[in-house]
Amino acid sequence: MAKVTIATDWLAACAGCHMSLLDIDERLFPLLEMVEFTSSPVTDLKHPPADGVTVGILTGAISNTHNIEVARRMRSHCQILVAVGDCATFGGIVATRNLVGTDAALKRAYLETESTVAGLIPDSPELGIPLPLVTGVGEVVTVDVFIPGCPPRADDLYFAIGELLAGRVPKVLPPEHLKYD
Amino acid sequence: MTSLNITINGQEIAAESGQTVLEAASVAGIEIPALCHHPALKPIGACRVCLVEIKGQRGLQPACTFPVTRGMAIQTESPKVVEARKFVLELIFSERNHFCMYCEMSGDCELQKLGYRYGLDHWMYPTYTQNFPVDASAKYFLLDHNRCVLCRRCVRACSELAANHTLDLRQRGAMTMLTADMNVDLAQSSCISCGVCLDVCPTGALVDKRSAFLGKDSDCERIASICSQCSIGCGIEIVTRANSVLRIRGLWDAPVNAGVLCKKGRFESLDDDRPRILSPLKRLNGKQLQTDWDDLLQLTAERLAAVAPQHLGLLTTTHATNEALNLLNELFCRHLKVQHVDLLNPVAPGPPSLPKGTLADLSHSDCILVTGTDPVNTHPVAAMLIKRAVDHGAQLIVIEDRESGLTSYADQVLKTSETDQALRLARQAQRSAVVYGNSVSETVFTSLKRLAKAVYVALQPGVNTYAALSLGLHQHIDFASLAVLYVLAGEQHAQLNEVAAKITPETFVVVQTSYASALTERADVVLPMAIWSERSGSLTNTDGIVQKVRAARAPQGQSKPDWEILKMLTEKLGGKPFVLPDDMAHYAGHESFGKENPSWQK
Repeated sequence: MAKVTIATDWLAACAGCHMSLLDIDERLFPLLEMVEFTSSPVTDLKHPPADGVTVGILTGAISNTHNIEVARRMRSHCQILVAVGDCATFGGIVATRNLVGTDAALKRAYLETESTVAGLIPDSPELGIPLPLVTGVGEVVTVDVFIPGCPPRADDLYFAIGELLAGRVPKVLPPEHLKYD
Repeated sequence: MTSLNITINGQEIAAESGQTVLEAASVAGIEIPALCHHPALKPIGACRVCLVEIKGQRGLQPACTFPVTRGMAIQTESPKVVEARKFVLELIFSERNHFCMYCEMSGDCELQKLGYRYGLDHWMYPTYTQNFPVDASAKYFLLDHNRCVLCRRCVRACSELAANHTLDLRQRGAMTMLTADMNVDLAQSSCISCGVCLDVCPTGALVDKRSAFLGKDSDCERIASICSQCSIGCGIEIVTRANSVLRIRGLWDAPVNAGVLCKKGRFESLDDDRPRILSPLKRLNGKQLQTDWDDLLQLTAERLAAVAPQHLGLLTTTHATNEALNLLNELFCRHLKVQHVDLLNPVAPGPPSLPKGTLADLSHSDCILVTGTDPVNTHPVAAMLIKRAVDHGAQLIVIEDRESGLTSYADQVLKTSETDQALRLARQAQRSAVVYGNSVSETVFTSLKRLAKAVYVALQPGVNTYAALSLGLHQHIDFASLAVLYVLAGEQHAQLNEVAAKITPETFVVVQTSYASALTERADVVLPMAIWSERSGSLTNTDGIVQKVRAARAPQGQSKPDWEILKMLTEKLGGKPFVLPDDMAHYAGHESFGKENPSWQK
């Protein structure tokens, strides 16, 4: 039987959700008998393969135009899209930027901090343009499974992957796997 | 009240007329989730989380305010109800900052629990963008408007329970904000920092500064005990983690206070930075040196055994358990026949011939006369009971020559010379109560005794003053004639400098205490004593109710509970005391307390 393919990517994220995925620990080995991780931000292959994957995992919030591109690319390359972590589901820590507004946040971060000397707000054309409002992934693409948590526990992710492998798409995770912090 | 049958989720239930749907369900063990509802507060149906489906009613109804009627059929978790509840929760979550990951209340939050229960794993509505203020001006707690869900529990607790009316809402609709007085910082407001709002807040909007982020409820142990900051005897829950006291909460089912506490009991009792005495000390060649318990007790016992009764003195704080006071009585008064005994605090006169009232009487009094005491400052929970009665229409008459904390709540503020006028007003009432303290003038008290129908409620200064008076420990002391003085100073602040100044240089001074003071500097022997959170036993409140106190943590250093020290000392002197706290609590409730002899066996 062919392995189920999973691709992961991150948006405006701290990488904590990916760490949590690695925290599945030794259970990863039997899991890898059934699953192939095709690409991720921490592997050589960064982008989902052209012919797509079964499951796409996105962590992080939608904070700039680049995040939107990555989210759309993942959506168009996977059958089931899973939003992992508080940032991907709710906006999370990144969304606290909304309290002051993007311009003020950029100014404070790059020009006004006490340690800044001759600061400059990055404006390279290679970079995504910050959005006025940080949101969860669901604001940009259709999400099939939301797994909140900051980060979600390895057990929660392991449970969700197990459900998907069994052919079930959990509408909402059961209470023991649903955590906001 | 008549019984009537209803069905909830198809289950037949016997409800009582006058109950709300939520109450009837709760009695039957069916939990209807709610956010603004709190059993100690009047329901207002504000949050709509408790919506239920009632057959025959158009639309869903809030269970917390809807009264039951005969034959009513209720659905509490039908698809329609669940859909509406999720909708309500989504609206609440979308209004302000309800991100849990950096919230102090995460794990203990009622809103979070509801989010989990109804599977809210993403938001249907745009995320919040408005930054609300945080009011950290109050010394002991902070108000984070970003976490507030406007349930008004705190507002109702502030008015219905504390009767202080500081908190309220201002503005309307989406602009609605919790506010203190006319929109000032809490520190500038009329807030008395009783903290009852902290105990009812369902989210992280009101946070105890001292214990923030130190442990959620599931990480902590909780011990039910009695506050020992004054003579009211409020039920408290001591929350501890890793042998440290984190915070104190009110006990809702406590007989005296029914949940409310005051600033002294909730916050100041954990904010005592006086240096502790943690090891036994004795004076040798003019210097105080550390020694061990056995050596110290031996030295003390020898001195006590050798001194003549007319040269022996005993001074005690009332901040001590029934067990300790009883042992003092047995050892010093009965065995050593001490001639000089007194308390470290004044007492209110006892009216054995008058109808004795209790704090509970205040809630159904229609006229309350207060004199010789300033409960707002000395017995704040008693002040709340008085102010609550005033809110319910009772007349308050304050008889003081100086301004008291109750002055602004009083219908009449009279000078002591105008007591006759107070009597005239009180005689028109049906159920008047006289609340008095140690400063009551003899003439005023004599006049007030003439009120035929009144009950008399004494607010004793100190803590366990009622028990100390029953034991006859309030007498007189002549410092000049003392060769040995034993002072049970305990945790008392006041009077210690004055006492230290009166002691003659020749007197051998034994001090049993928790904290360093002018008295410990003068002492020849210092017996380190555990504080209130470290000792079990019982206390008698100003009404005469005996309640058990329980240790929430181990005594620090080498300190020991008040009664344990006296038990060891009694044994050194050849007595065989027994002081099982349970037995003593039972005994302390009897009229024979201190008159018979249960603890000294020779």
